[in-house]
Amino acid sequence: MSVPNFPPPRDIDLTNPFWEATDQGELRLPACSVCGAFQWYPVPGFACHPEATRHWREVAHTGTVFTFSKVERAFLPFGSEPPYTLILVALDDVDNARLVTVLVGDDQDSVAIGSRVELSPTVFETHTLPTFRLSA
Amino acid sequence: MASVAIVGVGESEWGRSVDRPLDELILDACRLAIADAGLQGHDIDGFVPCTPHPAADELAASLGAKRSFTVKPGLEAGAGTVGAALLAEMMIEKGLAKNVLVYFGYKGSKPGGPYSYHAEDPVKAAFEMPFGWYGQPVYFAMWAQRYCHDYNVDPATFADIALSARAWAQLTPGAQKAKPLTRDGYFEAPMVATPMRTLDCCLISDGGAAYVISSVEQARDLAKAPVLVGGVGVGSTEMTMGSIFSQNRPDPLRFGALESSAMAYAKAGISAKDVDFAQIYDCFSISMVLQLEEMGFAERGAGAAFCSLDRIGPGGSFPINTNGGHLCYSYLPGMNHVVEAVRQVRGERGDAQVSRKSVCAIGGLGGNDHATLVLTEDR
Repeated sequence: MSVPNFPPPRDIDLTNPFWEATDQGELRLPACSVCGAFQWYPVPGFACHPEATRHWREVAHTGTVFTFSKVERAFLPFGSEPPYTLILVALDDVDNARLVTVLVGDDQDSVAIGSRVELSPTVFETHTLPTFRLSA
Repeated sequence: MASVAIVGVGESEWGRSVDRPLDELILDACRLAIADAGLQGHDIDGFVPCTPHPAADELAASLGAKRSFTVKPGLEAGAGTVGAALLAEMMIEKGLAKNVLVYFGYKGSKPGGPYSYHAEDPVKAAFEMPFGWYGQPVYFAMWAQRYCHDYNVDPATFADIALSARAWAQLTPGAQKAKPLTRDGYFEAPMVATPMRTLDCCLISDGGAAYVISSVEQARDLAKAPVLVGGVGVGSTEMTMGSIFSQNRPDPLRFGALESSAMAYAKAGISAKDVDFAQIYDCFSISMVLQLEEMGFAERGAGAAFCSLDRIGPGGSFPINTNGGHLCYSYLPGMNHVVEAVRQVRGERGDAQVSRKSVCAIGGLGGNDHATLVLTEDR
């Protein structure tokens, strides 16, 4: 099993704070600066508070697997060596947000919908990927 | 009562890779559709481009058509090409045009393939691609996994969809994947992303396709029996294209087909049980299953089992994707389904002709949007 190494774009204000945070070992998602409601994925404006700015709030490092797939062929133009296991994680303290990520660890074949997972980052030269592992 | 009809359909040469400019393929398809209707280029006065190129002005110049009105769908892929019939109907009902050309073309063989469309979306590029969550088969595999979990479906059930598509393709000239396929052959096909195998995934194709819509009155004077547009419906989800495949929503297995089919059936004065056969956007086996549930042909969770070879395949009681669909015939999103539906309703399909052909429902998926088109015989 591998972890794709495909550097994210780093020059886009709408998305880069996510990667700035992962470089620090944190997980942050964008939220309304007025009411704190998460907006994931970000879009240019906030319907709840038009005057709001985008505030990147820290979120839990744990969650539950909503669904998963073992990817057995490469679709990225470079940087992926299948197989790898993708998971969609419902984070513990965030409504209406799911994190796309990669499962790491020797026990990943035992993943199931509903499995508990926790942050276990994979550090590359260009970026830190917030990968997850199955919780004990 | 239907006010408009599809009077002509056309497809260019197509295949895994066709070494000709896309504009040329689209022009071929348009000329064939116009000729199929018994019309001339100068009869065309309305345009619904479902592709950026060629623009309607260039195409009109190539066809010798006059342009009274042009409108582009704001929906993508199958929702755009199937929903385009609604725009054509509106143009004709409003008196903006008499004969409307809907056209589309695609080069799936281009560098980056069909996947690159999603690389242009900033949130997908930032939050999905770096994880390897990329390529439409990956998105739909995740949904197939969840569907099987929620409704206790054995992924082996999907085999029948691939077997049925292949059986129809064997009866259809030009189908890209028409070699015989056994059930064992399905399970021997490589896994792409669990639980989906290569044979659960659509083809990659280069080609063009087009159809012409006219008023019913005019249609009755043209070359072929009119295929009436009984009703067109569209439905949109609350999600962006960037977020539809991964993010939370009240019902994660809905793609707008409930709304689009309700609208189309209401206009046609029918319900799902009045439909004789269907063409449903099968970018993947799972996407076809989800749509046919929303369109009312099977209960939620029962769609995969509904798609048994003996029901949806040749000779079955509810034929689906009767040319082999996007899995085995060609992948010109939604267009192949419209063209096939018209040929079936006309009774032109020879060995693949369905026996009950009065009412066909077409489902066109475009990520976060959906369109349903009901076509009927002129009776």
